[in-house]
Amino acid sequence: MLDQVKQKAKEILEKKEADGVLGLRKGLFDVIHPHVFTVPSELDALVLEPKWLFAKMARAILREKPQAWRLAVIVRGCDERAIVELVKRNQIDRERLLTLGYACDMDQAKACLCSRPFPQKLDAGAAVEGVDPLADERVKAYLEGDAGKRMEMWAAQLKRCIKCYGCRNSCPICVCVPCKLEDDVWVERGVIPAEMISFQIIRAFHLSDTCVACGACQEACPVGIPLMTLQLSMREALKKDYNYEAGLDANRKSPVLFDFAKEPRPGQAVPDWVDSMGKKP
Amino acid sequence: MSAERGNVKILVFTCRWCGLIGADGAGRKRIELPASYRVIQVDCAGYVEPDAVIRALASGATGVAVLGCHVGGCRFNDANHPALKRLELLKTLLDTTGIGGRRLLLGFGTAHESHQYAEMIVDFHRELEGMPSMASWLPQGE
Amino acid sequence: MAKIGVILCTCFGEIGRVVDLESLKTRLEADPAVDFVTIRDSLCLPGDATRMQALIRERGIGKVILGACSIYGKMEFVRLALAREGTNIRTVRAVDLREGCAWVHGKDPVGASRRAANQLEMEIALLQNRQDSKDVAIRVQQEALVIGAGPAGLSAACGLARLGFKIHLVDRGSAPGGLLNVITKTFPIDEPGPEKIKNLVDETGNNSLIRFYGKTKVSAVKGYAGDFKVSLAGPEGNTALRVGAVVLATGARVLFPQGMFGYGKVKNVITQMEMERRFATGAASCKTAVFVQCVGARNSERPYCSTICCPLSLKNAMRVMDENPGAKAYVLHRDIMTPGSVLEAYYRKALQKGVQFIRFDADRPPEMRGQDQVSGIEVFDTISGVSRTIETDLLVLSTPFIPDPDATALARMLNIPVDKYGFYAEVYPIHPVETRNDGIFICGTARWPVASDQAIAQGEAAAMKAASFLGKVDLSALTMSRVPGGKLGHAVADAAACTGCGNCVAVCPYQACRLQRTGNRSVSRVIKVRCKACGSCVSVCPNGAMQMPEQNYRAVGEMIRRAFREVR
Repeated sequence: MLDQVKQKAKEILEKKEADGVLGLRKGLFDVIHPHVFTVPSELDALVLEPKWLFAKMARAILREKPQAWRLAVIVRGCDERAIVELVKRNQIDRERLLTLGYACDMDQAKACLCSRPFPQKLDAGAAVEGVDPLADERVKAYLEGDAGKRMEMWAAQLKRCIKCYGCRNSCPICVCVPCKLEDDVWVERGVIPAEMISFQIIRAFHLSDTCVACGACQEACPVGIPLMTLQLSMREALKKDYNYEAGLDANRKSPVLFDFAKEPRPGQAVPDWVDSMGKKP
Repeated sequence: MSAERGNVKILVFTCRWCGLIGADGAGRKRIELPASYRVIQVDCAGYVEPDAVIRALASGATGVAVLGCHVGGCRFNDANHPALKRLELLKTLLDTTGIGGRRLLLGFGTAHESHQYAEMIVDFHRELEGMPSMASWLPQGE
Repeated sequence: MAKIGVILCTCFGEIGRVVDLESLKTRLEADPAVDFVTIRDSLCLPGDATRMQALIRERGIGKVILGACSIYGKMEFVRLALAREGTNIRTVRAVDLREGCAWVHGKDPVGASRRAANQLEMEIALLQNRQDSKDVAIRVQQEALVIGAGPAGLSAACGLARLGFKIHLVDRGSAPGGLLNVITKTFPIDEPGPEKIKNLVDETGNNSLIRFYGKTKVSAVKGYAGDFKVSLAGPEGNTALRVGAVVLATGARVLFPQGMFGYGKVKNVITQMEMERRFATGAASCKTAVFVQCVGARNSERPYCSTICCPLSLKNAMRVMDENPGAKAYVLHRDIMTPGSVLEAYYRKALQKGVQFIRFDADRPPEMRGQDQVSGIEVFDTISGVSRTIETDLLVLSTPFIPDPDATALARMLNIPVDKYGFYAEVYPIHPVETRNDGIFICGTARWPVASDQAIAQGEAAAMKAASFLGKVDLSALTMSRVPGGKLGHAVADAAACTGCGNCVAVCPYQACRLQRTGNRSVSRVIKVRCKACGSCVSVCPNGAMQMPEQNYRAVGEMIRRAFREVR
């Protein structure tokens, strides 16, 4: 598959479809780092592993370069979805960006609990079937069962937070400057562990309809909080209620931004209940 | 596990059209309500940021109520529909973490339904009384 | 920083007997933001406002909190009274200690006092943190666009022109008049259709302020209330206009009852419109005519009553009997809808004349008899309980008005809502010709099926509403609200913080947010005239770049923190 990607990347550069290809390069002392390949001969040093999300990096590169400069990005499924979300948020100009997609293998999909381990525009490799994260035993422990027990369990996890902002910084979609998590009004500053409800829940909720389930936050977390698990139920709810999944269609905005006429729920245009305690008039 | 009994603090975000008029009507009818709630008046339920709801829970409120006009009867051209969708999603997140989506009450009624308003406050107060304490989520010493 | 004055009211004991106002006073006086706290027995009696104003002036403060009854009690009047005395009403806030506190916590004075203190402190936090929205003034274009030149559009155009506004009257037909042009007799006084609106059509031609654009369509409407930029596409090419208000009088079309009662296949099964054409061409001779009401109306798909078909059938039934001596006329109906004194008298007249009325049930509709040519109709008469067949050589189907697809496209262009059938929706029933978008008015059959005289009346009404809007030459955006005392403010996007994600653009129910490209990024901008201060954009903004200055996030955050604060 690596050769296939190299070949495609070479074609892109030779045909001048893009001015640079963003990917991983094995450099001096075998250090692997992101690199923008601009000449085909460089591509021999291209590698695909480890998993690295380029979406935010691509945005930064495109902002620096002149308008006519085009970039091709070597992406896996999650990275492509993140790019779609950034396009949706006007962070990346779709005209200036090309993707070169390759599929993850079954082991990787299992490791990430990825339900969609392949990009929509697949250029190399064969797509394998995804894994249903909600069927995983470890995930189930965090999402099902007694609420009181779960509350303690999550509290114990989140209490270990050292507020390094790694989850936010590694997230391919968190691009806001300033960020609400740095504002005293929302999150008390200078407190460790971070105020659990405000820091963690605000962060998780901001990504409710945006999270592409790449797992970068979880991988970045130095204390190993299962952050991706936090998003799963919201992703599931959006899928069930509105048939919406983040990162699939750049032209469809989140359904929570529209009224029930524009984004109805299947089979139910406007909820008929009066309060969420379940009583009806 | 300790319960919230005796420690119920409800922060009510209410739109000035329906919720607030309902509250006003409840007052005129002298309906006795628990003094455990505080009201923040907004122009529309659409104004209520989910972050503000989270902030309220983080600041020690045991429950948050967002009251707006009937879905379909919003004074701001259905601005309460997306608000409802957003806050329902927040309920999902609160459920996931075990804090409990039930701590967030979404009530959409018309003005002049003051009995319903009163009933909602009383029932919500009672429901929160039985919920497990959130102390493990709050900063130490509180 | 301007300090805050707190004026508490005992309401002659109504509040004072539950809430401990004295200790409340002590507690609030300790707050460095508070200049003074005073307790009065009343705030709403004659002279109270003057006395309060004297105190406010003496202390030199601009922000006042009234701790008394709710704004739906007396406080709105007190605020307005203070405004008349010279205080800035936007910094006078009311906290309801009576309806919201004393009266609902009468049995819990301690809790009530605690709550009163918290609510007052929250309001102090709001006043400390609030900022003022910048107002903008719009120069209202003294011209109006009227779309549709039927009876409603004509009367709207003439009504506005009589008041001196320049009118652009647009119709897709070549001449004004609309549907009435093809009607040879109208109910209830048998006047030919064109005659009914002759004076309006003449006025349109004679008044130099009205310009009629025939065979013209509206291709685009941009801008906002007071300054719409309109493009018209007509036979002479495109025209660009700038108008202050738009009146929609686009009318409706009549449902073709394809497949019902053999319509389209069987000869002499026709609609009311075709009947009108037969009358006009003198081809309406028949021995018997049967009119069937509510064809395709008042059913589950279109539950509404089209209102004009009953009088229409009465008129045509009588006309059949007049023009064909000895002919019989039957009206098969579910209910005869002839409200008001004039139409009821018209119904009596038809009864006297010998028109026969047979009531059928919706669950058991009449059935047409005949193969190529209608020969009769079988109907179950619910009054007598028997089924009977009427021999007839003419079957006229009364079909309802349905929305015009062009009108629906126009509604989408103007971002005004339509009801579930597709007719234009008014903002609330108490504002019958206004839409949720300022400066856009609706009248006539486009908003609901009405007869021509009602359409004319509605056109007049829309004209008057539009005139009162156009009359405000310099329009302040902050006053553009149906809220008494103006709207809360305008949302403002911080251009430095905005990431340009477009959430606000998607969520805004008034299309007030726009993305503007600056350099290599997009930034949101709020059109102040359109903004109605619902705050939806604020709540979806991921990083708080969008704010409502009057109730910004610092104010809300501080209010939340103070909500349950205890002292001591």
